[in-house]
Amino acid sequence: MIFKKDFKKINDWLWEIPKNFRSDMQVPARAYVSGEMLEEAFKDKSLEQLVNVSTLPGIQRHALAMPDMHEGYASPIGGVAAIKISEGVISPGVCGYDINCGMRLLKSIHNEKEVKPYLQDLATEIQNQVPSGLGRGRKIKLGLEQINKILEQGTHILLKQGYGEKEDVENCEATGRLDWADASVVSDHAKNRGRDQVGTLGSGNHFLEIQKVVEIFDEKVAEVFGLFKDQIVIMVHCGSRGLGHQVCTDYLRIMIPAMQKYRIRVPDREFACVPFNSSEGKRYFSAMASAANYAWANRYMIAHYVRQSWKKALGEKEKLELLYDVAHNIIKKEKYKIDGRETEVAVHRKGATRAFPPEHPEIPEKYRSVGQPVLIPGSMGTASYVLAGTEKGKEAFYSTCHGAGRIMSRHEATRKISGQEVVRNLESKGIIIKCWSLRGIAEEAPLAYKNIDDVVEVVHNAGLSKKVVKLVPLAVIKGE
Amino acid sequence: MVLNYEILGHKADLKIRVFGKTKKELFLNAVLAMGESLKPNGKSSIVNRKIKVKSGNLETLLVDFLSEVLYLVQVNKEIYINVEFNKFSDNEIEAELSGQKVERFGEDIKAVTYHNLDVRQKEDDNWEATILFDV
Repeated sequence: MIFKKDFKKINDWLWEIPKNFRSDMQVPARAYVSGEMLEEAFKDKSLEQLVNVSTLPGIQRHALAMPDMHEGYASPIGGVAAIKISEGVISPGVCGYDINCGMRLLKSIHNEKEVKPYLQDLATEIQNQVPSGLGRGRKIKLGLEQINKILEQGTHILLKQGYGEKEDVENCEATGRLDWADASVVSDHAKNRGRDQVGTLGSGNHFLEIQKVVEIFDEKVAEVFGLFKDQIVIMVHCGSRGLGHQVCTDYLRIMIPAMQKYRIRVPDREFACVPFNSSEGKRYFSAMASAANYAWANRYMIAHYVRQSWKKALGEKEKLELLYDVAHNIIKKEKYKIDGRETEVAVHRKGATRAFPPEHPEIPEKYRSVGQPVLIPGSMGTASYVLAGTEKGKEAFYSTCHGAGRIMSRHEATRKISGQEVVRNLESKGIIIKCWSLRGIAEEAPLAYKNIDDVVEVVHNAGLSKKVVKLVPLAVIKGE
Repeated sequence: MVLNYEILGHKADLKIRVFGKTKKELFLNAVLAMGESLKPNGKSSIVNRKIKVKSGNLETLLVDFLSEVLYLVQVNKEIYINVEFNKFSDNEIEAELSGQKVERFGEDIKAVTYHNLDVRQKEDDNWEATILFDV
């Protein structure tokens, strides 16, 4: 058990469990939370799971948790671990099953008043164009050859095939293609699960929202991002679907027995890990990259179908531009100065968003003067935010939160509130809601989540990323 | 009717406790629990599938077996209501699944996890397993 007395308060937004708390800790564990949120965190096992993260071989500086943290399996959701590549491990469980689950934001040039008359038609059209994939998958089943191309080339192959525009590739994290991807290390099982899911949303907390900009916190950055008051934007939240889930399943199954060979012991099987530079480790890293490319291709195609709907509702000449697309479940090689030496680490972000600072070479040139756009969704029907990366974020390996974070189980949410009630609440706020299942709606009710404003306030005040604009939904389109 | 599984509270995922008089019944009930959790709709024609799984021990065998069943469920859009075991040891299963095609599922299960996995025989000789599904 962990108690508040075990924590050292670093400042109002950062709390630390020292390394001597448990003998197997390699580094201290740190949580970016307010005092109030810390009290809440004791209600589940997320802090214990954070301490478990700090035991991973090769972990550097601190195991980190973001303010939206909640209990997961192995690592908490909202966890970050930077593990030294030359002598550390790679752990699929600290990336998660939904590899490259992430966010994408499309911008229009219109304000709310201009779009309002078309909103209902637009929401209906998007719901029909972008299926969830639970039996409402795309009618087209891609061949394995096309899947292989997507796995290795991500969004680049789709651009070549005539979908989207050059800017859609440029404005995406890693341009939507990790070049160490290798389709030959992805199982046929995984590929088969992905054949009819490119361009599908999926279920659970995945969604698509038509939103408007309600508040601007930083005029200068908003201008560089091309965001203005009352502007209509479209936000997409989804990942690599069944293909990514299968890649994680496959590699956990490979790594659990392999751990004996490498004499690695972990506190939970879901932490299964192998040395980064082992053959199993390298294969997983390439398979994860392939699934990440698939996820980017998925969101890229969703944007394509959204644009078709947009044109159908508003007119053929109407456009939607990509602001940015960023992952929040991924493992990336990055370099940081640690103990005075430049060190290459595998940054595992599980429910945490990369937030590179101004002048970082890995962000699109057009954003380089102000920092990477960070897209943070709230729970259904509440606000979302666009933030920008900061130099201070370096202390957290340039990572920030990824959303609101659950405080209530899906089961409990459905007991507390009915789907109809949630829909009524949304409609009373003037929000259009499109969904196929009312139960799914109840599970995602706002009462099941932390308040997004509080979460964003912590990362803003802690300096991990800064607020640029606040968005509120006008229409919510759910998977199932 | 005897309860063959129960849903336990878990913040973000689906935690199920499954019961069985024998190991085989435990594995069958786990398949049924997973299938019902997917809320299948529009069942139709009968299907049969063969399945082979090897694993390190009984605990991981249960997860690996369910992962393989989940794969078949997802790819073929089918639900399985019976399992005929042709081979069953603590680290290997060969079985035949029978079930039905479905039109669509009301819920998704992303994966069967090893998190806090527990498979045990109780004092009264009955079997019990706790499994967490990522949903």
